[in-house]
Amino acid sequence: MLAACGSEDRPIERERVRTPPQGAADARIPYYQDNLFQVARGARFFSWYGCGSCHAAGGDEALDLADGKWRHGGDFDAVFASIAQGRAPGMPAYGSRMPVETLWQVTAYVRDIEKQDAATRRRQDLDRRAEGGGRGS
Amino acid sequence: MAALDLNAPQADLAQDAAALDAIWRDPPGIRGFLTTVDHKRIAARYLVTTLALLVIAGILALDMRLQLSQPGLERMGPQAYNEAFTLHGSTMLFLVSVPVMEAMAIWLVPLMLGQRNLAYPRLTAYSYWLYLGGVLMLWVPHALGITPDLGWFQYPPLSGPAYGPGHRVDIWAQMITFTEVAALAASVNVAVTILKMRPPGMTLARMPLFLWAMLVTSVMTVLALPAVMLATSLLIADRLVSTQFFSPGAGGDVLLFQHIFWFFGHPEVYIIFIPAVGFVSAIVETFTRRAVFGYTVQVLAIISVGLLAFGLWVHHMFAVGLPRLGASFYTAASMAIALPIGLQIFSWIATIASGRPRFDTPLLWVTGFIATFVIGGLSGVMTASAPLDLQLTDTYFVVAHLHYVLIGGALFPLFGALTYWFPKATGRIMSEGWGKIAFWLVFVGFNIGFFPMHLLGLMGMPRRIYTYPAEAGWGTLNLVATAGMLIASLGAAIIVANAVISLRWGRRAGVDPWGGATLEWSCASPPPPWNFAATPVVASLTPGWEPPPRAVMTGLSLENREVLVTSVGDAVPEHRQPSPGPSIWPLLTALATALLFVGSIFTPWAVVWGSIPVAAALIGWFWPRTRPEEAQAEAP
Ligand SMILES: [Cu+2]
Repeated sequence: MLAACGSEDRPIERERVRTPPQGAADARIPYYQDNLFQVARGARFFSWYGCGSCHAAGGDEALDLADGKWRHGGDFDAVFASIAQGRAPGMPAYGSRMPVETLWQVTAYVRDIEKQDAATRRRQDLDRRAEGGGRGS
Repeated sequence: MAALDLNAPQADLAQDAAALDAIWRDPPGIRGFLTTVDHKRIAARYLVTTLALLVIAGILALDMRLQLSQPGLERMGPQAYNEAFTLHGSTMLFLVSVPVMEAMAIWLVPLMLGQRNLAYPRLTAYSYWLYLGGVLMLWVPHALGITPDLGWFQYPPLSGPAYGPGHRVDIWAQMITFTEVAALAASVNVAVTILKMRPPGMTLARMPLFLWAMLVTSVMTVLALPAVMLATSLLIADRLVSTQFFSPGAGGDVLLFQHIFWFFGHPEVYIIFIPAVGFVSAIVETFTRRAVFGYTVQVLAIISVGLLAFGLWVHHMFAVGLPRLGASFYTAASMAIALPIGLQIFSWIATIASGRPRFDTPLLWVTGFIATFVIGGLSGVMTASAPLDLQLTDTYFVVAHLHYVLIGGALFPLFGALTYWFPKATGRIMSEGWGKIAFWLVFVGFNIGFFPMHLLGLMGMPRRIYTYPAEAGWGTLNLVATAGMLIASLGAAIIVANAVISLRWGRRAGVDPWGGATLEWSCASPPPPWNFAATPVVASLTPGWEPPPRAVMTGLSLENREVLVTSVGDAVPEHRQPSPGPSIWPLLTALATALLFVGSIFTPWAVVWGSIPVAAALIGWFWPRTRPEEAQAEAP
């Protein structure tokens, strides 16, 4: 139950992270990865920054984030690095466009996708796409 | 068949008391507590629960007022504030206002009808247990840190799957399912009792106004509450099994939620207000020593309020951009409802003016109600105007308006009613001196607390903000509002203390301390488990003021629980109806229902598998049991 409570937190007033994760076991990771609110924020930024235009559900296998396969490592720090620094050939570096905390939240969301069932992800994408904030997911 | 016996007043039937006691008394101890179907015991626990929650919600309100008393305070953060107003609003609207009126009806309706119980005694018990489930549904997760935080109406898309992660929204939505099923059960119970169990002679035209009020309320409840359960169930479906009712991206509609919600939400205001109207009429009648002026007008006004209430809901949605013609229609309808309510208010004023008013505490509360409710009604007419509402919506003006109508319009009459019927329920009278002091503190404190909010709203202060900058210039009025709330809280504390102390040391009441005109004042205080030794026979609107001897009807069984069933229109006795005794099945069924409701937050399969325990419990509940008298009846 305690874990559930942590996942239900709304950490609006908690101090924000200012630095990238220090390795895969950084003590700050659970505050993002295991918190539903932070993951949902990440999902929103994922949509706003247009990540879904390449990483859409059911798209190209190499770009699929839902299959649990990670070409550059699936640990938190590895995924964070992929987003922040970009990956050849096509993935741009978002480290210069997203604030640090946003990178944490998007990382948490991206690593959460494989745990979601397709219908839930599709339903949430529908709402976020209707928001009209980014280029759509 | 029952016999009309004009020569046997209640006192002469004392020898029946021992026999009645044997069949109507509950089993002792915890078994009796869990199995009772006595409407008075169930109403008492309903009332204690609702009033305890009223106090808790009031403390939350005080907490919020302290937070807003000065600009820029940080004693509460935004999240804590969101949770506070959500808990306050959800508790007050779903767990206090409607249930407290049901509680009063469950207690009062059989007494006012000279009956021994409601039509469906076990359903009464089921209503309470399920209602308690709703209370736990909101407050246990709060204790665990999972508190709904989107206000008392949780609109999608904010409450939808994309923006309302976790179970906070589901908890709120399912809390509603609990309380609304409980309220539906209670309403069916009350409506059937009023229609089919009136004492001989109490035709529809001789029905006390409180019963008219509860009848109309019950019918409204049956029509309105399914709408909110539909809204929240669709929301849960959107969140749990990814349906697309409220997803515009898939052709759904977020406004659909608001329409369905307010189709319930506006009638709900009158579901709270109309029982209060019934209290006011009863109190005005007793304390002016005359029958209420304009009985027919009052009845027609209650019915037309009940009808009109279903045609106004869009005034909660003027700001969402609906077609202008539609908005104009709802503006007109919202203003039209002021007419029947105005007629009622004039009728009460005429009653007070032409009677011999005795301003004891209950009538003071009624006077406070009239003054406050008129202000709330006027601000209501203002917000009903679509162009003005566009400016006022989501400001403190709305907060002021809704508290004037809900506290002034429903809670003031409720406090009057609690003072008025306290001696009947407990056998003791609450202190009049402290009662009057408490009234003035609450009345003055309330107006100091909430009137400034009208001005704050006009100055543009939005509702649901946890703090505001000093430059906004709202500091002084907010400080005044907080001071008013503190004064009112002191009055509320005195009411609670007065009730607790009077329960133990209050003056003994006797059967009829106020000289009331309705039937509940002719049974003992507190009423015994069987209420009346014999069914009273009614010949006028004010049977309590008829000169003795008073006719009664005898002939109900002294061996089994029985109640008298009469015809709908003229209350002609039709037959004796066996009335079920204590049973554990309502509690077990409520537990099974709770299992289904709670489970369906987590998995849709709970609806499938959870229905098995519910079905099993219902089979146990309805399993045919032969009664001794039925066995006898078959013999000859
Ligand atoms: Cu309304």
